[in-house]
Amino acid sequence: MKEVELDCLGEACPVPLVKAQKKLAELEIGDILIVQIDHSCAMKNLPEWARTDGHNVEVEEVGDGEWDVIIEKVK
Amino acid sequence: MGDEKNTTNTSVSGTTASGSISGIRRSSRTASRKPKKDQILPGLGILVLIVISGFALSFISKTLAFFWITGNVFGFVLQKTRFCFTASMRDPYLTGGTNLTKSVLAALAITTLGFTAIKYGAFINGMPIPGQGFVVPVSLATVLGGLIFGIGMVIAGGCASGTLMRVGEGFVMQILSLVFFIAGSLWAAHDYGWWQLNVIMKGKAVFLPDVFGWFGAVTIQLLIIAFLWIAADKWGKRKAEQSH
Repeated sequence: MKEVELDCLGEACPVPLVKAQKKLAELEIGDILIVQIDHSCAMKNLPEWARTDGHNVEVEEVGDGEWDVIIEKVK
Repeated sequence: MGDEKNTTNTSVSGTTASGSISGIRRSSRTASRKPKKDQILPGLGILVLIVISGFALSFISKTLAFFWITGNVFGFVLQKTRFCFTASMRDPYLTGGTNLTKSVLAALAITTLGFTAIKYGAFINGMPIPGQGFVVPVSLATVLGGLIFGIGMVIAGGCASGTLMRVGEGFVMQILSLVFFIAGSLWAAHDYGWWQLNVIMKGKAVFLPDVFGWFGAVTIQLLIIAFLWIAADKWGKRKAEQSH
C-alpha cells in the first residue's frame, strides 16, 4: 500500500480529473491518491467521479481555495 | 513524471495530525496545513462597499444599480453552488455525472416560465412585448458558433460566467482566459456588422408563440426540457451502474 501525491495546482478543470483518472488506473487496490487542486470546479467533479466509480473519497480544504482530494482505490 | 512524489507508507490509522477523524488512512502532509486567514471582516467590508456602490450607481442610473445588484447576486450564487455551464455539458461524457446537466435544465425550465409570464403579461395588456430584439435568426451559423464556443470553453476551463467567477475567486490561470475572452469579444464586436449582414440575417427568426400559440410554445419547450432531463437522469444512472 502506498500513497501518491498528484500536484494539479494551477490546472483548470477538467485537467485534474483526467490526470487523476489516469493515475488511479496505474495504482493498485488499497493505494491512496492525493490530488492537490485549487480549481473550484475540480473540487466538485473529481470527488463526484471517484464516488460514482466506487472509491472512498475525502475532500479537505488545506488552504483558502486549495483542496486535497484523497482517493482510496478500492477496486 | 515530475509532478508527483511517492511518500513511504507510514500511515497512522484513524486520526490525522489536525485531530479530524478521517476515514481514509493517510500519512503525510496534514501537519503542513496552512493556517487559514479569517476572512469574515474583509467579507463584511466588501459587502458594505457593494451596498454603497449600489446606492452611488443608483444616482447615475437606476438600471445600472439594478445590473450591479443582479451581477453580484449571480456571481455569489455561481460561486457558492459551484454551478458551471461547461461542466454541465462536459461531465456527462467525462465523469458520467449529470447532476449539473439536470440543474441547468431545471434553471432553463424556470426561466421559460418566468419569461413567458413577463412576455405574455405584456401581450395581453396590449403593451409591446419586452425583449423581442433578442429573437434572432437561427441558421447553421448558430450551430457552428456553438461548436467553436464549446471547444474554446473546455480548453479555457470555463465559459464566460465561469471564467469571471473564478477570476474573482482568485484563480490566476484564468486571468489569461479573461484577457483573451475580452480580446475575442472585442474582435467579434468589431466584425459583427459583417456577420450580421452576410450570415446571420440569412437565417430565419422564430418566435415560438407565433408558431404554436402561447400555451403550445410553453408546453412544447417544457416537454423538450423534461425529455432531456429524463435522458440525463437515465444516462447518469447507467454510467454509475457500468462502473460498479
